[in-house]
This record gives sequence, C-alpha cells and structure tokens, in this order.
Amino acid sequence: MDFTLSDEQLMFAETAETLFYDLVTPEHWRKLMESGDARDAALWNQIVETGLTLIQLPEEAGGLGLGALDFALIAEKAGYVALSEPLVDSAGVAAPMLAALAPDDPVLADPAASIAIQQEEGGLVLDADSAAAIILRKGDQAFVASPDQVTLTRRESIDPMRRLFAVEWDDSKVQPLGQADWDLALDRGAIFAAAQGLGLAQRAVDMAVEYAKERQQFGKPIGSYQAVKHHLSTAQTAIEFARPVVLAAAATLESGDIQSRARISHAKIVALEAADVAARTSIQVHGAMGYSWEVDVHLFLKRALALTSAWGTPYFHRQRVAARLFTQPVGPSTTFARENENG
Amino acid sequence: MKLGFSAADEAFRQECAAWLQEQMDGPFADIRGITNLVSKVDRRRLWEQQLAAHGWSCIGWPKAWGGRDATLAQQVIFAEEYARAGAPNRINHIGVELAGPTILAFGTEEQKAKFLPGIAAGTDIWCQGYSEPNAGSDLANVRTKARLDGDEWVVNGQKVWTSLAHFSDWIFVIARSEEGSQGPKGLTFLMMKMGQPGIEVVPIGQMNGEAEFNETFFTDARCPADSLIGSVGDGWRVAMGLLAFERGVSTLAQQMQFRNELDAIIAAAKANGMASDGVVRSRIAKAEVGLRLMRYGALRMLSNTDLSAIDGAALTYKIQWATWRRDLGELAMDVLGQAGEVVDGDNYHWPMLPNMYLFSRSDTIYGGTNQIQRNLIAERGLGLPREPRGNL
Ligand SMILES: Cc1cc2nc3c(=O)[nH]c(=O)nc-3n(C[C@H](O)[C@H](O)[C@H](O)COP(=O)(O)OP(=O)(O)OC[C@H]3O[C@@H](n4cnc5c(N)ncnc54)[C@H](O)[C@@H]3O)c2cc1C
Repeated sequence: MDFTLSDEQLMFAETAETLFYDLVTPEHWRKLMESGDARDAALWNQIVETGLTLIQLPEEAGGLGLGALDFALIAEKAGYVALSEPLVDSAGVAAPMLAALAPDDPVLADPAASIAIQQEEGGLVLDADSAAAIILRKGDQAFVASPDQVTLTRRESIDPMRRLFAVEWDDSKVQPLGQADWDLALDRGAIFAAAQGLGLAQRAVDMAVEYAKERQQFGKPIGSYQAVKHHLSTAQTAIEFARPVVLAAAATLESGDIQSRARISHAKIVALEAADVAARTSIQVHGAMGYSWEVDVHLFLKRALALTSAWGTPYFHRQRVAARLFTQPVGPSTTFARENENG
Repeated sequence: MKLGFSAADEAFRQECAAWLQEQMDGPFADIRGITNLVSKVDRRRLWEQQLAAHGWSCIGWPKAWGGRDATLAQQVIFAEEYARAGAPNRINHIGVELAGPTILAFGTEEQKAKFLPGIAAGTDIWCQGYSEPNAGSDLANVRTKARLDGDEWVVNGQKVWTSLAHFSDWIFVIARSEEGSQGPKGLTFLMMKMGQPGIEVVPIGQMNGEAEFNETFFTDARCPADSLIGSVGDGWRVAMGLLAFERGVSTLAQQMQFRNELDAIIAAAKANGMASDGVVRSRIAKAEVGLRLMRYGALRMLSNTDLSAIDGAALTYKIQWATWRRDLGELAMDVLGQAGEVVDGDNYHWPMLPNMYLFSRSDTIYGGTNQIQRNLIAERGLGLPREPRGNL
C-alpha cells in the first residue's frame, strides 16, 4: 500500500494547476456567465495543447492511455477553479467510451473536439450544443450523434456556469454504437465528480481563510474568533479525509468489481459532502457578502450541489456501499485486509 | 397553561379564513403563493392596502391605531390562515412588525399620529438601515453621521444590505450623532423619508438571482429635528428594543411558511419515491419534530407579555429556526435530486424549494449570525465571561 504519486502524475497535475490558476479567474467566470458561451476559445486551445484531453484516451485512439488516478488529479484542479469548459466529462468519460465502441470515429482524431454524454436514458446532457459528438443512451445501447442530428433544448441549471440540454432524438437518424459499458461510465463520472468536489471544497475554504484574515469586526480579524476558526477547521478536516478515499478509489477503478464500485461510491459521497460543508461554511464566514452574487463563493456551493446529484445521487451511492456490505463476507478476517477481493 | 382555541377563537378563524380565501381566489389570485419580496411589488402594495381596508393589516396593534387589539391566539390563527390561503409574504413586514411596534413603544404621541396611519393603511413601506460596510456583527460600529442643522438632521454615510430600500417610502437609521463617540454610545435613531435627493439606493445581487437588498448612500440627506425616537445619543437602546420585536409575532407567520415548505418536500418525496429511503424518512421526521419544537417555543415565548425581556426562549429562538431552515433547504435538494438542479423557464427563476434552499443560506446570517447568536446565548443567557473583543 503506497499513497505516493508518481512524478508523471504530479507533473500533469502541476501543468493543469498552472494553466487553470492563470486563466480561469473570476473575470473568466463572469465573461462566460455574461456571454453564455460554453468555453473560452483561447483557454480551450491551451487545455488541448497541454494534452489534458488525451490522458484517459487509449493509445490506439491516439491518447496517452493513462489511468483514472492521473485524470482525477486534473479533475481536482478543475474543481478548484470551478472549470466550466467541458474537459472533465468529455475527456474523462465520453471519449474513453467512444474509443471503446468506435475507435475509428473521426471525432476522436481531433483532440480539440469535445464529446458530450447522456448519463441516463432521457437525462439532460451537459454542453451538448458545443460538442462535436453526443453519446446518447437507450437501455444499454449507445448511439452517437452530432448536435444538428438531434433537437436540443436548453434547461437552466442552478449553477449559472453549467449548460444543460434536453435532447430529443430519433433512433433512425443517429448512429448506433451497440451495447456500452454504462457502469464504467458511471464509475468514471462519479470519481471525477468526487475529485472536482475536493477542489471545490479546498477553494471554498481558501477563500474563507483569506477573507477571515482581512475582514475586521469588533476591532479584530474575524478569523481570530474561535467560532470562525472551528468552522473552517471542520471543513478542512472533511477535505483531508475525503482526499485519500478519492485517490484510492480512482487507483482501483479499472477493476470494476463490487469492491471498487463501493469505494467509488464512498468517494463520491464524502468528497461532495466535503464540498458542501466547505461551501456553506465559506458563505457563513463571508457574512452577507457570501450571500451576494458578486462574491464568488456561491458558485462553489452551486457547483457542489450540481455534482452531488450528477453521476449517481447520494442515495444511489449509499445503496452501492450497502450492496457491498450485504453481499460480501464480513468479519474480522475480511474487513480491511481483503478489500480488493470479491467473495 | 391552556392549549387549543376557544369557540370565539374558532369563529374568528372562520372569519379570516373566509375573507383570505375569497381574496386569493378572486381579486388577488395573481399574487398568490409568492414567497419572495421583490416580484409584483405594485400589486402587493395594493394587497397591503386591501388588508388595511378590511382591518387585517396589523391586527396586533391597538384599535386606536388601525389594529384590532387581537389576542395572541387570534394572531396565531390569522398567521395560520394567511399562510393556508397562500397569501403572499408581506412586503411591509418591516413597517408592521418592526417600525410600528417601536414607535408604539418608544415614540411620542405626535410621532404615532404622523407615522402609524401610513403603516396601518399599507401606504408606507419601511426598511431598516442598520448595517454598514464596517458594522455588521459589530453593529455598534456604525459610522454614518447625523448632525443637527437648525430644525433638521443632516445625515451622511452609507448603509448596506438594506432589504427593500429600492421601493420603500421610509427608512429608520441608526447614526452617530456625537462626534468622536464610539460603540453604542452617541448613536441616534432617526426616521427618514426615502426618495429624497440625498438618498441613493443601489441594488445588490443575491445568490438566488434576485436583488432584495441594497446599498443606501446618504449625502446631506435630511429629516426634521423631531424625527428621532428616544433622545439624542440614546439610539442604541431603541435599536435593540426594535430587535426584540423581530422575534415577535412575525415568527408565527414564518412558521406557517415553513410548514408549507416541509409539506412540499414531503409531497416531492412521495412523488419521486425518495419517501421510501430510510435516511430521507428519518430526516423528514426530524424536520417535523423541529418544526413542532419551534411552534411550542414561539407560543411559550409570546405568552410572555414583556417581549423585550431577555429570557432563554427569546435568546435561543433565532438560531433554532435559522439552523432548522438551513437543514430543511438541504433536505429539499437531497429529496429533489437532479430535478432540483434545473428550472423550467428562464431568467433564473426558481420554484419554491430550490429558491428556499438558496435563500436559507442567508437565514443564518441576517438578524445576527449563528456565531453571534451563540455568543449571546452563552454570554447573556448563561452568564459566561465575554470573549475578548477588540474595541469593546
Ligand atoms: C438577506 C439579507 C438581508 C439583510 N437585510 C438587512 C436589512 O434590511 N437591514 C440591515 O441593516 N441589515 C440587513 N442585513 C445585514 C445583516 O444584518 C448582516 O449581514 C449581519 O449582521 C452580519 O454582518 P456581516 O454581513 O457584516 O458579517 P460579519 O459581521 O462581517 O461576519 C462575518 C463572519 O464573522 C463572524 N463573526 C463576526 N464577529 C464575530 C465574533 N465576535 N465571534 C464569532 N464570530 C464572529 C460572523 O458570524 C460571520 O460568520 C441583511 C443581510 C442579509 C444576508
């Protein structure tokens, strides 16, 4: 057992961090919210140039063929800046699925092309209008379409930077891809949502810490009051304990067994709980400022809320954790030692 | 102690229920069910006036000033029926529940005659000018200045987070009238006409997409010398007295809104199957218990005739409801799941539950944050030593 990350993993995460922290600024968010655009072309080009869209893509399809852990580290950084460009779902979930079903699809050859994916039959699709391809779901079957082959209706999200669409489509006008591994897609979507949750949480805490040092009431920085300190400590504790769970779940995602699935579910639950606690603490610490639109903490609360129900609700994930408990052998000789085996 | 209502009370219930129902089915159907404070303001001004015309605008006030001298039981009943009928939140809540009772308690006869009729008639909407950029939790740190110039006060400075200032007719402010004074000393409580050249109002956006609160700038704004309540330099006592009314009967109306919100969550859970999830069921049960707790707590608190007396119930009420409702917001979103994330229609206009979730984030902030409430309970209620604070 070793939780240290490889140099390569750290390098990618660092590249993402530098890029995001430079470019995904509060001004960038405002620009997107005002224009309603899905992405900033310059930023997206840089994301593509640094190879971040290729990490999860198999080598046969022109990608780097790296694992979920490598991409989870990127997703965490994306969460820290509340990235709304379609990197995570497109490169983390949709592209690997398309590569598995249709490795020769020309969309895969263009690293700048984003791919949208429908999480469940009839469900809303994130960033469908700006995608080069949309993967659609009916039962276990997958289909692929371009946005002009389907009818898209924008649905407003509580997160003003999330662009959701209802999709109406006709089987005969879209290309069938056959039976797809939707469980794997859900696992990937869930673990990358969890990783984003970690980033969201840390940013919310960092913003609050910054503010608590500056804002004075009763002649002192509010951060000097225990009530404020303790709240922030509680949020940070939640993050510290969620992070190793997310990393461990990402590292074993590919095995796709009941143990790894439960671990992903565990990660999704705790990481988004941490994000929620951190965001709401941050709002509280900001006082009325935190409730205003101008101060950005609300964006983190809203993204955390959206990701909490994306890729499986907490209810769904609790059931998966319970499924492990109720179907696998329990007892002193099995609990932790054998958690990589299935009974 | 006596629980339940008398036959006369029940007759009163029939009377107000019938009238409210008729209004909400008929002439005011278009504003039924509005829980925010900013939409259809013109119609809601008319609604305030309609309530007044039928003697329902401030039933707890004395008859002489447009009220009904209603008993506590009657006020409870009216609040219940008001919510049951889906009548919209009162845009003159601050006038009826805060300014009016303060003027009744501390004002002169002339002031009562000048200000109360407009509130009772629903023609004068009020807002509250307490908070400033550097005076939030530390309210006594206000810097807005008031200076007597002949027979007028001249006011300069800035208030912030002033709810409803953008359509209010009057504002009450606490301002520093004694140059160089600090903290709660040297403050004066003034009532000022809005819409005058010296007062500028700039709306502030909220995270739910609405703009209920504002920045309010005073530049040589004026009011007659007799616009103060209490005496010069005695504003803190009046300001604090007013805050005691914030925990008053309006809490009963608020509880009815909470009831509606919890019922909406239960309905949603039944409709989408979440009601069969054990976790959700027990959280709903817990919410129900909390709501009843508040109801009995409030009734007990209100039976105490001296509302300004600091007792345990009064000190603990704010944090109890604010925290309860914040949890309710989270429960609502957990029950709704992904459906809670999206809205039908555009313009970021939320249905009741998601909007409640967002709005409930402010419940633990305005009117004294949870942290400040806990300090008050510990220090004033339990008599623990005061936490070291900078300038106090
Ligand atoms: C929706 C809404 C409507 C409002 N309407 C009005 C209105 O109509 N009129 C009006 O005058 N005001 C209004 N307010 C302002 C409200 O009263 C203030 O927001 C509140 O008093 C807190 O002040 P602040 O926002 O400056 O936060 P701050 O006082 O800066 O507090 C920031 C954080 O520090 C904590 N803190 C501060 N001091 C201490 C301490 N000593 N110990 C422990 N923790 C501490 C707080 O709890 C909070 O978490 C409104 C606010 C909101 C959100």
